[in-house]
Amino acid sequence: MDAEVYQGFLQASLPTNLLATCIGSLLGLVVGMIPGMTISMGIIIVLPLTFVMDPGNSIALLLGLYVGGMMGGSFSAILLNIPGTPSASATALDGYPMAARGEAGRALGIAIIASFLGGLFSFLCLYLIAPLLAEVALQFRSADLFSLVFFGLTIICSFAARSIIKGLLSAVIGLAIVTIGLDPMVGTQRYTFDQVNLMSGVHFLTALVGLFAIPQLIDNLVAPKADAGETGAIVRKFGSVLPSLADLKAIRLPVSIGSLTGAFMGILPGAGGPIAAFISYDYSKKLSKKGAAFGDGVPEGIAAPESANNAVTGGALIPMMTLGIPGDPVTAILIGALLVHGLAPGPLLFIEQGDFAYSIIFSFFWANIFNLFIALASLRLLVKVLALPRSLLMPSIALLCVVGAYALRNNFFDVYVMFFFGLLGLAMRWLDMPVVPLLLALVLGKPLEEHLRATLSSTQGDVMVFFTSPLSLLFLCMAVVSIIWSFAAEHRKRPKPST
Amino acid sequence: MKQRNLIAALVLLAFSGGYAYMTANLPDRGIENMTEPSFFPWIVTTLLLTLTSILLVQSLLPSQAAAAWTLSAAAKSKVAQVLGLFAVYVAVLPSLGFLVASVPFFGGMMAVYGERRPLWLVLGSIGVSVGLFYLFRLGFTIYLPVGVLKGMI
Repeated sequence: MDAEVYQGFLQASLPTNLLATCIGSLLGLVVGMIPGMTISMGIIIVLPLTFVMDPGNSIALLLGLYVGGMMGGSFSAILLNIPGTPSASATALDGYPMAARGEAGRALGIAIIASFLGGLFSFLCLYLIAPLLAEVALQFRSADLFSLVFFGLTIICSFAARSIIKGLLSAVIGLAIVTIGLDPMVGTQRYTFDQVNLMSGVHFLTALVGLFAIPQLIDNLVAPKADAGETGAIVRKFGSVLPSLADLKAIRLPVSIGSLTGAFMGILPGAGGPIAAFISYDYSKKLSKKGAAFGDGVPEGIAAPESANNAVTGGALIPMMTLGIPGDPVTAILIGALLVHGLAPGPLLFIEQGDFAYSIIFSFFWANIFNLFIALASLRLLVKVLALPRSLLMPSIALLCVVGAYALRNNFFDVYVMFFFGLLGLAMRWLDMPVVPLLLALVLGKPLEEHLRATLSSTQGDVMVFFTSPLSLLFLCMAVVSIIWSFAAEHRKRPKPST
Repeated sequence: MKQRNLIAALVLLAFSGGYAYMTANLPDRGIENMTEPSFFPWIVTTLLLTLTSILLVQSLLPSQAAAAWTLSAAAKSKVAQVLGLFAVYVAVLPSLGFLVASVPFFGGMMAVYGERRPLWLVLGSIGVSVGLFYLFRLGFTIYLPVGVLKGMI
């Protein structure tokens, strides 16, 4: 075990890996900062580049982007009151008032330090919890794994959907798409229409590019634009970025709350950065002596959500690496990126390629370190990106989507599939149906079917094994609770019809 | 939104029907103690039909109207332009190749996103398309299709 940790650290600290992490962090800060660009989008754009890279370098680049994107989102939230990413929404509550009264540098500095501390805490969680959880997960039998994947799917649907029925429908559509191609057990063709291109199924990444990128291009057609004059004025006078000792003392409690909340919420599939940021903001407000001043521009109001959304990143990597269950769209894409390189995340990753698993963990550590230094050193330069015209950015993204879909298998069919999924994503937006459950069903559908059928084959069709195995029963009960809870939450939120 | 839910439910019902028909026609392998290829798709079919039926009932019951994603007429026109450009681009890409197809596509997209300066339109569309083509070819050894320029580049 120790040798694997050491080897993992060495791999993550190779110059090429460090360079990839550094570039990823820089790209992440830029992507996170631009309103209308999400971290998922940033990762989708760089994905085609990672196909030709070494697996370690490619994951290092993507992790850098993930971590950097979380921090970058706060810059535009503070400077423009427009969160670069949904996770930075809570940061704007106190960040923008501080910037508006001429303390933008102080606000940005606090955001950077809090993000770093949150990220570092989640690295420790990842380093300590992931190997232990992987060892436990190794004891799982196929019935337990089926129930676990099923639970993952239900909790994700319930979190992602405003209407639970639509969330579940989105997931089931994803499961139907997963059945296209060769049957995983006996190799029979299913729904391929004798198309050779469909025999290996719909590639997850192709679908992902379409589902996320094309609706995003449309969003940017109709979204309000930042005022360039206002941006320029704030950017020119943001003063010192390094926080004072008094500020560092003041943010101790909110950073602790944010880090704990973020790491915990990250582990829960579907919870994600925005929820963690708002929960930690709320708790910090309640526990702080300056609670009443929250919302008027206090450092504590920035530190809590920023530490939380960066702590989510390490937390979300725990179920991804140990169980192969993505906690959010970004970790789903990371799973896709690993699969492209022939690496399947899950407990076996720690057993069969322990050094690689630890290299991912240490790349995450380096990503947090680089983020801190890049953000502090080049903030004044980075914020100029906010003035980048959409008329150049959006067409470039469109081209990169096409290149990404084509480069996956050097096949035009994938470009058509990408465009089809883009239209599907738009149709789902029109129907207020969330795309995230569909995306996650594309990731989890295959293992769900494989574990279900393997279990039934081994028990000669006896379904009682799902209820007699304690772990399986536990996961199934959790799945049922998750579904009932979601229905109840939806019912409570629904306005009463007027009589 | 209720009307949209009704449309969605009807489309999904049709999809579920088609999916069920194809599932029923999947061949049986008859291997002992092994589930058939249609086993999982039948579960999916059942879930699809159940959830779609619930959505259909929800769309017919009286309830408070939820906010729906709406676009102005101008925005709808722009969306149609972007999707039209994308569809044409994807259709002509295999025959024309990346460079020849991307330059007008990029220029068109820039115009839809509000760029009006002719020089910027020309420089942007040629510069980014050529830049990306060679970045992928030389930097990442990803050979994008050359189409009609085969033999020339």
